Amino acid sequence: MRKVFAFSLVLATLATLPASAHHSFAAEFDAGKPVKMTGVVTKVEWQNPHIWFYVDVKGDDGKVTNWGFSGGAPGQLMRRGIVKKVIQEGMTVTVEGFRSKDGSNNANGARVTFPDGRSVFTAGSEDRVPGDGKGK
Amino acid sequence: MKKFCLLFVVTCASFAQNQGKMPDGKPNFSGTYEWPKAMGGEQCRCSATIFDRKLFAPLKPGGEPFFEPHNGDPRHDEPRDFCMPAGFPSGMLSANAMQFFQTKDYLIMVHEFQRMTRVIPLDGRKHREDIEPSFYGDPVGHWEGDTLVIETTNFKRWGLDDYFYTDPNQYRMHSDALKTIERIRWKDQKTLSYNLTIDDPKIFTAAWSQEFSIAAKPEWDAAGLYEYVCEENNRCPGGKCQGK
Repeated sequence: MRKVFAFSLVLATLATLPASAHHSFAAEFDAGKPVKMTGVVTKVEWQNPHIWFYVDVKGDDGKVTNWGFSGGAPGQLMRRGIVKKVIQEGMTVTVEGFRSKDGSNNANGARVTFPDGRSVFTAGSEDRVPGDGKGK
Repeated sequence: MKKFCLLFVVTCASFAQNQGKMPDGKPNFSGTYEWPKAMGGEQCRCSATIFDRKLFAPLKPGGEPFFEPHNGDPRHDEPRDFCMPAGFPSGMLSANAMQFFQTKDYLIMVHEFQRMTRVIPLDGRKHREDIEPSFYGDPVGHWEGDTLVIETTNFKRWGLDDYFYTDPNQYRMHSDALKTIERIRWKDQKTLSYNLTIDDPKIFTAAWSQEFSIAAKPEWDAAGLYEYVCEENNRCPGGKCQGK
């Protein structure tokens, strides 16, 4: 049975809006809908133009939803030392980012934090993370 | 003394790698680099380098519009989100690695973003005639001392840079009359001076230029550029996500 971890989802309006990522953020994601979720990675697509990883997130009602998160281009990430094995199926992660414009269960995944406190910046080279104060 | 000599050799080897000469004595720009970065001015709310509005020449009265506001159609507002090309100079300013390969007769610029490839003849030929305007234009290069001068013409009307990520109402466009002039030379052992002139007589009253720097990254040589195939898994074009 798939192990599902605690869940949190934040759609609060934050004081600072994010800046846009190159070539996709403004077109695909809603800067007014920051999200923060914790769950288990179910799949990783290490592909262009942006990586995608999928996370099973358990809601307060116990229902599990699979969310997709978009990151930077593989080349951008690898040059920063973030390689495919950093995020693997079965890992528990907390992801911060912004929800997709179409309201589906997709978001950009700007920062991934692991249970031991380590975190990686998985967005494009200068994408923003909710609440990082760099948006203005 | 031994340590000093070793340091000297290493330093010289690095210098030679970054600033070697071609057999004809011209500078050799072959190598791996960061994208051009502005020397100052406004920063974009995005990852790309943008032009500094303080350097723009005045707009031509009655000229072609420079700003084209977003209209809500994602294919118009951000065509790259549908894997359309960034074009030049916009693509050159994208925050990805670049690799240059130089021979006596060509400079090949390969940019990791969209695998933009510019083949620049250095053999004295003139611009091609009777070809359709294009996203990246038609470049030819020549030497002025140790400075490589690249003149590019025959562009389609297209986005000039990524400033619209800062202000969606100011989607800067260049016209089909754009001519760009790049001047490339070594500024120091690890940095290229990259001066870019925008000459767009349908929009501006005069040509204007901006100075950028390009950092050599020999430590990126081993890995080289990574593949970038936009169509591979472009899941949410225009904000409409598909599949999982």
